[in-house]
Amino acid sequence: MDYVVAVLLPQMLHGLVFGAALGLLALGLTVIFGLLGVMNIAHGELFMLGAYFGIVVIALTQSFWVALVVAPVGVALVGALLEVFTLRPLYKREPLYGLILTFGLALTLREIVREVWGGDMRRILEPIAGSVPLLGMIYPKYRLFLLGASLLLLFGIWLFFTRTRAGIIVRAAVQDAEMLDGLGVDVPRVFTLTFAGSAALAALAGLLLAPIFTVVPTMGVEMILLAFIVVILGGMGSLGGSVLAALIIGEAQSLFSLWMNPQRVAIALFTIMILVLIVRPRGLFGREGVLE
Amino acid sequence: MVWKRCVGLVVGAGLALGGALPALAQDVIKIGDLGSKVGVFEGYGRWQTYGVVLAVEEINAKGGLLGKKLEVISEDDDTKPGPAVRKAEKLILQDGVKLLVGSISSGATMAVMDVTKKHKTLHWNAVSCAEFMRTTKFHPYYFANQPDSRMQANGMAKYILDKMGKRVYLFYTDYAMGQSDGRQFKTAIEKLGGEVVGVAGAPLDTKDFSPWFGAIKASNPEVLFLAFAGTDSLRLMTQLHSFGMTKQYKLAGIDCFLLQQDLPAIAEPMEGFVQLNHFSPYNPDPDMQAFVTKFKKRWGVDPNIAAGAYDGVIFWAEAVKKVGSFDADKVAKALEGMCMDNTHIGRQCIRPEDHQMVMDMHLYRVEKGKNLPIVRIAGKDTIGEPMVGKDPVEGFTWEIKKK
Amino acid sequence: MSSTRFGWRVWVVFAALAVLPAFPFMTGYRLNLAFDALLFGIVAMGLDLLMGYTGLVSFGHAAFLGLGAYSTAILLERGVRSLWLCLLVAIVVVGLYALVVGYFATTRRGIYFALLTLIFAEVVYTFFRYTMTFGGSDGIQGLEAAWVLPAVPASAIDSPLKNYYTVLVLLLLAYVACRVLTDSHFGRVLIAIRENEDRARFLGYNVRRYKMGVCVISALLTGVAGALYPVRLANATPDLLLWTVSGEAIVMVMIGGIGTLVGPVIGGAFFIVLQEEVSTYAPKIYQAVGLSADKGVGLHFLIIGVILVLIVLFMPKGLLGAVRAVGLRRPRSMAPAPAGGSE
Repeated sequence: MDYVVAVLLPQMLHGLVFGAALGLLALGLTVIFGLLGVMNIAHGELFMLGAYFGIVVIALTQSFWVALVVAPVGVALVGALLEVFTLRPLYKREPLYGLILTFGLALTLREIVREVWGGDMRRILEPIAGSVPLLGMIYPKYRLFLLGASLLLLFGIWLFFTRTRAGIIVRAAVQDAEMLDGLGVDVPRVFTLTFAGSAALAALAGLLLAPIFTVVPTMGVEMILLAFIVVILGGMGSLGGSVLAALIIGEAQSLFSLWMNPQRVAIALFTIMILVLIVRPRGLFGREGVLE
Repeated sequence: MVWKRCVGLVVGAGLALGGALPALAQDVIKIGDLGSKVGVFEGYGRWQTYGVVLAVEEINAKGGLLGKKLEVISEDDDTKPGPAVRKAEKLILQDGVKLLVGSISSGATMAVMDVTKKHKTLHWNAVSCAEFMRTTKFHPYYFANQPDSRMQANGMAKYILDKMGKRVYLFYTDYAMGQSDGRQFKTAIEKLGGEVVGVAGAPLDTKDFSPWFGAIKASNPEVLFLAFAGTDSLRLMTQLHSFGMTKQYKLAGIDCFLLQQDLPAIAEPMEGFVQLNHFSPYNPDPDMQAFVTKFKKRWGVDPNIAAGAYDGVIFWAEAVKKVGSFDADKVAKALEGMCMDNTHIGRQCIRPEDHQMVMDMHLYRVEKGKNLPIVRIAGKDTIGEPMVGKDPVEGFTWEIKKK
Repeated sequence: MSSTRFGWRVWVVFAALAVLPAFPFMTGYRLNLAFDALLFGIVAMGLDLLMGYTGLVSFGHAAFLGLGAYSTAILLERGVRSLWLCLLVAIVVVGLYALVVGYFATTRRGIYFALLTLIFAEVVYTFFRYTMTFGGSDGIQGLEAAWVLPAVPASAIDSPLKNYYTVLVLLLLAYVACRVLTDSHFGRVLIAIRENEDRARFLGYNVRRYKMGVCVISALLTGVAGALYPVRLANATPDLLLWTVSGEAIVMVMIGGIGTLVGPVIGGAFFIVLQEEVSTYAPKIYQAVGLSADKGVGLHFLIIGVILVLIVLFMPKGLLGAVRAVGLRRPRSMAPAPAGGSE
């Protein structure tokens, strides 16, 4: 019982916290994939950009909360520009070009950030300092806030997709963009706005995780593979799937760390991924036949 | 179409040729400064540059060395052995350096040692502390003034067990340096009768250390010994603190755990942290303060252990003057047994057997963001016996002995 | 659509490369750089067989490179100095791995194929980087030179000049092998698969087997190149296995020209030389104009990133390909949302 309380429960809490934030990140990725057929390698860099824009806003306003609103908007703008000028021309082409292009974008964005801000690690101080006694251990308040904020945001996004007209249009576009075009909806605009929204989500995830992970130009590279795994497991294009998968992966990573060296946990996760890709590539909830 | 290919080749050749900018002056002697200029260890890499440049400027102000001016060529090794080897080759083959100072990461330094051995270039190590460099990887052109893990363990283990606690948990960064620290401290602590209740390693550049905290708590230590460096340390202490673990356990660690300039940001988490170090800007010792003043005047910041690179250049220059030549064999011979007084820590001597600097050090404790000395430890007590060519980890096991 | 031919011009280039070391500006350092350039040229050429001729994008070629390198490194570390033995073991190891990856990856197409190769490569990377079996993050260091003639120490490949000629010979052999392959029936089937896989299948070809075959061959080319890596650098590190290295290989192919074989070699050389020169001079230029030197450290990646984006957008056939190479595939006419499951 002691072990459960002192070690197991906190580990599960870690997993939940991380999984929720991962869900925010993966959500944007899966929507873009479902909608545009593009596996956006640069998504990790948008995540990273959120943290750096956050640093700028905090420097100007001294407020993390203001940054939480302004930074994602800034990154959304960057996303929109990228979509219009670099991705849109590729829609008519082989989807693999999109993959290669986003790799180039990732390189470019990462190095631009390094040129502007330097390669040193930056810190964003926790806006909510201190810890609370929880489960017989002391748990940082900020991580609890992170969990709460992520879940709230995810709920908000669910509402958006199910209750608002805009959200329903996006879902329809994921299902069948041509039909939507035939119905008179300005499909290119939907694409651009959705991409911008996905970028904003990534930025939010980046800024929220920044006080824990610290900020470096390579923070996107480290997250993107995990995000890919989540998207594949959940089903490319499935919103609920990616959230659920994120929580599963977050928990798996945490719990595996108890029994095997944490760095080798990655091997276990990748093996699961390979199995999924081979046996059931559409993941948990993906649509059958997508890019099979 | 053929044109395009020709253009491509010409561009390629042009770029390669572009590197053919000739050495500007013939009587300039170059010193290579190799280390992590960006990334997790960039604080050490940059301060190493400061130390080397400070020494070079002093020497040049006095008329140079054997009538020639010294020039420093700095390169970044990306904190990895692969790029370190390439850059070392470039410094030696392309730039023709007579002295190579570096690297920061122990893995990189050991890889570079292969290159300096092959090309017979004098190699000075001021930061890396894995135990292999003056044992299995040693070669005659290698010199060091950084106390390696064995020296630190020799100097600290007794204090930890006497004054801090008998149950120790060893948490280290999982590559050459950290593993070396883990091994040496485990050996030293167990030899003196202490109990190592657990060991764990986290990869270099880990972002979130909390997955390891559960195991630490479960083993119930009195002392938490930490062998990390650079930005990893910064993150680790912040996270340990937010989980209340900095108050729960006594803290100890290696000398390069945290750079003095980063200390103010995490003063509270680091309170009470004990380490063995040959340097601290808050040591009132007059020799130390003289160096601090000099360094601060030039660079505007306090020095840290990487400034030991300063000593390296000064010693090398002395040896060159003594033999009147830059020839590597002659200079290496002259360096053996060479001593200097009034360095920042008083008298320093290079031991001929393994080219390691014998010098006094201090045990320091962090109090309100400052590294203050507790007691002075003599050089002969930490240096340990020379083990050139011998395996320093023979017979070692990571197994935890249950009491 | 026959494969691109450059005919006699290729042999002229090889001749030029052969006499390159005679020039005075080719110092030891530059010869080493040329070695790296040609080595990655071989890697890119191998990838081109897969990308350009068969239309399969692999994001996992770093694994072949790294496995080849580690195979040699492990042998050299244990005192096995024969170059041929090292190459042989590398071929076996990489070949086995490629069979496994090829078998599973070819069950899927397009992006799924790319993702599968990526994840397999990540498993390999994680194994080498995060376990201490082969040196962990520091890899294997301090290797001795390999011998061309077994048990003859004098035949050690231990100078930049010898390194260079070794890789040049390998490049020559690799090129000939690729040329023969692409001009053969096998090569034509690959192109058919690239153009329209289903039709090739309906024509009776065992598409899966061809794909697996080219996967293995492409992997072996890269793996053999990787095997030469420790011969020059005396080490093997997990950095070779990063997925970003796979991405860089793709960049080399794209810049040089997909589907031309020669193009990727130039792309590889360009990439290596650019990387070396920029990373050397950018920090110095930055310092000279008063900017922080460490910002210049990654500038070559910025340049490569921008070049890649521009090439994909405006010149997808790369430097050499504009006239005769064929690009990834015929363009599709549908909107991006893949409703209905078309590939």
